Amino acid sequence: MSGPVMKLLLRRLLTLIPTLILVSLLLFCILRMLPVDPAAMSLPPNATNAEIEAMRIEMGLDKPLIQQYGIWFGNIIHGDFGASIHYRTAVSKLVLDTLPATIELALAAMVFATLFGVLGGLWLFYTRGGVVESVLDLGTVALLSIPEFLWGLFFMLLFGVSLDLLPFIGRLGAGVDRPETITGFLLIDSLLAGSPLTFLDAIRHMILPSVALGLSAAPPIMRILRSTLMDVYQEDYIHQARQRGISEGRILIFHALKNAFLPTLSLMGVQFGFLFGGTLLVEIIYSYPGMGNLMVDAIRNADLPIIQTVGLTYCVMVLLISMVVDVLYLVLNPKLREA
Amino acid sequence: MEKRFFWLRSGRVITGLSIIALLVICALFAPWLAPNDPTEQDILNTLVPPVWQTGGDWTFPLGTDGLGRCVLSRIIYGSRIALTVAVFGALGAMILGSVLAHIAGYFGGWVDWVIGRVVEIWLSFPPVILSLILMVGLGAGLQNVILAIIVVDWTRFCRVLRSDVMVVARRDYVAAARLLGFSHWRTVTREILPATLPLLITLMSLEMGVAVVVEAILSFVGMSVGAEVPAWGQMIADARADIYQAPWTLILPILAIFVTVFGFNILGDGLRRTLDTRLTQTERA
Amino acid sequence: MALLDVNRLTVSLTTKTGTLDAVSDLTFSLEPGRTVGLVGESGAGKSMIGRTIAQLLPPGFAVSGGALMFDGEDLVTMAPDRRRALLGRDIAFIPQEPLSALNPVLTIGQQFREHLDHIGKGGAGWKDRAVAEMEAVRLTDPRGLLDRYPHQLSGGMCQRVLIAMAFASRPRLLIADEPTTALDVSVQAQIVRLIAEMQERDGTAVIFITHDLRLAAEICDEVIVLYAGRQAEYGPAEVLFRTPAHPYTRCLELAVPDVAGAPRGLYLLPERMPGLKAIAELTGCRFAGRCPLADARCRAEEPALAEVGAGHVSACWKSFATEAIAPPQAPDRVATGQEKILEAQGLTKSFVTKWRMFRGATLFHALKSADFIVRDAEFVGVVGESGSGKSTLARTLIGLETPTSGALELLGRDITGTDGGTRDWRQAQMQIVFQDPQSALNPRRKVGTIVGQALEVEVPRPAGAEIEARIRQLLSETGLSQEMVARYPSQLSGGQKQRVNIARALCRLPRLLIADEIASGLDVSVQAQLLNLLLRLRAELGFSMLFISHDLAVVRYLCDRVLVMSKGEIVESGATEDVFANPRHPYTRSLLAAVPKGVRQPAMTEAST
Repeated sequence: MSGPVMKLLLRRLLTLIPTLILVSLLLFCILRMLPVDPAAMSLPPNATNAEIEAMRIEMGLDKPLIQQYGIWFGNIIHGDFGASIHYRTAVSKLVLDTLPATIELALAAMVFATLFGVLGGLWLFYTRGGVVESVLDLGTVALLSIPEFLWGLFFMLLFGVSLDLLPFIGRLGAGVDRPETITGFLLIDSLLAGSPLTFLDAIRHMILPSVALGLSAAPPIMRILRSTLMDVYQEDYIHQARQRGISEGRILIFHALKNAFLPTLSLMGVQFGFLFGGTLLVEIIYSYPGMGNLMVDAIRNADLPIIQTVGLTYCVMVLLISMVVDVLYLVLNPKLREA
Repeated sequence: MEKRFFWLRSGRVITGLSIIALLVICALFAPWLAPNDPTEQDILNTLVPPVWQTGGDWTFPLGTDGLGRCVLSRIIYGSRIALTVAVFGALGAMILGSVLAHIAGYFGGWVDWVIGRVVEIWLSFPPVILSLILMVGLGAGLQNVILAIIVVDWTRFCRVLRSDVMVVARRDYVAAARLLGFSHWRTVTREILPATLPLLITLMSLEMGVAVVVEAILSFVGMSVGAEVPAWGQMIADARADIYQAPWTLILPILAIFVTVFGFNILGDGLRRTLDTRLTQTERA
Repeated sequence: MALLDVNRLTVSLTTKTGTLDAVSDLTFSLEPGRTVGLVGESGAGKSMIGRTIAQLLPPGFAVSGGALMFDGEDLVTMAPDRRRALLGRDIAFIPQEPLSALNPVLTIGQQFREHLDHIGKGGAGWKDRAVAEMEAVRLTDPRGLLDRYPHQLSGGMCQRVLIAMAFASRPRLLIADEPTTALDVSVQAQIVRLIAEMQERDGTAVIFITHDLRLAAEICDEVIVLYAGRQAEYGPAEVLFRTPAHPYTRCLELAVPDVAGAPRGLYLLPERMPGLKAIAELTGCRFAGRCPLADARCRAEEPALAEVGAGHVSACWKSFATEAIAPPQAPDRVATGQEKILEAQGLTKSFVTKWRMFRGATLFHALKSADFIVRDAEFVGVVGESGSGKSTLARTLIGLETPTSGALELLGRDITGTDGGTRDWRQAQMQIVFQDPQSALNPRRKVGTIVGQALEVEVPRPAGAEIEARIRQLLSETGLSQEMVARYPSQLSGGQKQRVNIARALCRLPRLLIADEIASGLDVSVQAQLLNLLLRLRAELGFSMLFISHDLAVVRYLCDRVLVMSKGEIVESGATEDVFANPRHPYTRSLLAAVPKGVRQPAMTEAST
């Protein structure tokens, strides 16, 4: 079984390279349409035109677009993502400092999205054909209409401001010890540092943003799981299993769920890609020190190197997610395994 | 044929259309409906609560924001931006996406491969990030918001429709039409499009909701039509500063967005059921 | 006491307007080790008995009267737990579509193990028991099969796995619902023998559901002929087949062509079996509307089952008047012309199945160097099993595939070119009738526009009145009423859809029709109508046809010459009567031998496979 999985991984890694080249090219071209001049932005406001021109040449902005791209991409391959215009530090350091927070948030949100999605889908399926279903179904349409940033604001108002149940600013409370940064993942670092209080506080800080994010990604998962389960229950093998006297519970778990989960999984791949982008909004709302806030600050400062690198990092993460989903799909689907 | 309007019998479709009609009325008659100028600041009357709370005032039925602007008027005027973006953004994304979907699904082969790869590259950008980056590149403004929505969201149509087109294109009646001498154009428009149209209309309705959300997101991050134009996302961004003193300034635009998006979604859901599209397909949208 | 006792069982559908009976007063009993056949056209209610036993009736259907006793226990009122304990253990099912009856994401081993657990034979050593059961149904390398997935097996192998599972519990009752319909002819015979053999081993009683009266006569002890939910006739298989008491049984038999014997016509049953709604409104015999012997009494009073011989009952006022129903004359053979309509030489089509760098392409030869000629007004049959290349041949001839090599001439003109002129010309001279009318007719077009589709794009475009006249003419030629013009395909029956399909292909009077399995999947009465329609249309219009079919009897009835295909090659060809009377190629012989002929086979073990 590991043979085809390795093969797929290898093939996906190989196609990752041209995909990344194209993605970065697209990113580069969009950002070169920028109405403000990055050279002017990187100099003090009282700089002369000659100084700006010199800066343009220094930054390589006078060269043709494709050559600029070549230089940029060449530097990336050597691990040089350039320096921030605003912070005057290496972009790679800024991104590496913020990436773990974002990944941590996204992973927690994916867990919630899967949990809500699968349980909700089963609930919808179980109540099929009844009044409860039509009410629930209307509920899912309502849920679909609430994007992550509305959930985020709503939860902040309800559980943070009104009920004062959970914290809603940053990753840790003011009085809590900050563990030494080892992996950047606060949950892991706090455990490594042996401070359970920090760990708990970090979890409390993660609940609102990750539930908000998870809730926004869950409704499509619920609905597709429900409808694929309905399709699967029309299949001959379910009928045959019933004719063999297999119990309904076992039919659902052993026969139906595994089949129904395949389309659900491929939808989850796309959903989780969207979800990873959604972290940006939730991070802004909850002042969560991740890549999203770095990105938005960089946009305000027209800090091109950061925007480029963070944008690219988001894409890499999405590509990794879809790769993981593809592998899972392959593991679950015997028909694809030999192709 | 009395059957033509059968979809009007769905409660969902009616609900959706009613909400959208309300929205259209708000947008068209905003100057007459709004009690105040939405951009006029009244420094003496900042953070006035809505009428049902103590201190409320009928001059500002839903109160004012931190700069003393009338919340109700801003919400009514905000529907203009939301609706413009929804109509033109979704229309553009639909045209671009469905044309490419039909080309890819009908011809297959290398054309399909190329379009498929382009969609894949687009999908590696989270939509929020891509629209933000586009707004950085294009600069603020209503036209650019619409353009960004089209450029980001055409893949939604392309992805879902392509597989539907492929299913229909493999039917024998499509082969039969070709063998009877139909041109490619005629085959696609007469034999395939009628079969994919229900899905297309459904997706269009859902996409209008998505467009409203995207505009709100961009306004919220300050990358949309600019702070001076009343837009719901902008109202949310402004209201965050006063979250403790005046939560209603935050809740009201949130509700406006929710109701609008719900209207488009419930319409889409109703259309999907009544127009007999393949359910599992649209779930992927 | 009988193992299964069915007494006046009635299954009905409850609707807003009342109840409609799908099965009425079904009565029979089954002793251990015996086989009863349930025969009927689709919609006759033959699957209802199995579904009632498993209590898996379609939504809205329920038992509304009568009793169904299994070994003294009432299967209608049985508690669900008790039923689940019986199902799979004492009562086993063999399904119609073996490939889809196995879960695609579970290995054969996982599914077998689940079943063994259910019947109490699981636990340690399940593997050996599963292997033993699979060896009993002569599956090769059963241990290796345990790790395989259903899609890696052929339909026949899947059916064997399902048979092995069904018999693993030594069931007392087996319900086989069309277990061979989805399989190739040669596999069908093996599966049927295998079921009989396992039945003998375990002394199992079998309910064999089929639409094929001859197959039922071959393998069953007793046969029940169902018509519109009611037993038309019930009796010993041989008696019932040789001397049917009920006119429906007789008509059913005469509606199907034979592979041997003197040529004869097909009996044409008019109209269709009444649906559930129509039955409820009927007075008198349900078959009266189509019966050649019916008189006023038949239409007024419903006959009860009456004894007509030892263990032989029939529900007819005129039982044994069936000899009066004679097979019609064999259709006149149209003299075929000498003009070559289509000539293929060395026609080859290969597909690339795998492409590897450095090693090049792996080719699959779907069609290997086919040579044949179709002459003027000649019907040429192409027979072979699935995967023999029949459909590839059709698609290559019509231009949906480009031949890899070889020459193809239509009326003396080379048509391998893909330029517009050649294409237009070929399309005017040659048309295809597709296999699946469901897929071949655009559900969003009306019948009228489908039939006249070809004229829409003719240059210069004919006038509207001219198109309309042509549509009306085509409808009447294909035996469709004029009201059909405004109908949508979903409002038509299967047979009507196939007529529309043919009418569309004939619109511009092509010289050659390619017909891909157009008579399969239809009920026998509809099939007979369709075959006669094709013969009549040839006499009137004088076109030639390449008729692709897996059904040898149909080809013998319809075609002047036959091509036998196997693995992409034409292994035998010749005049139909010659090939059927003296098959030379062993493949042709095995095909012919596998066709059920309605004669009870002596108990035999399966021929080596």
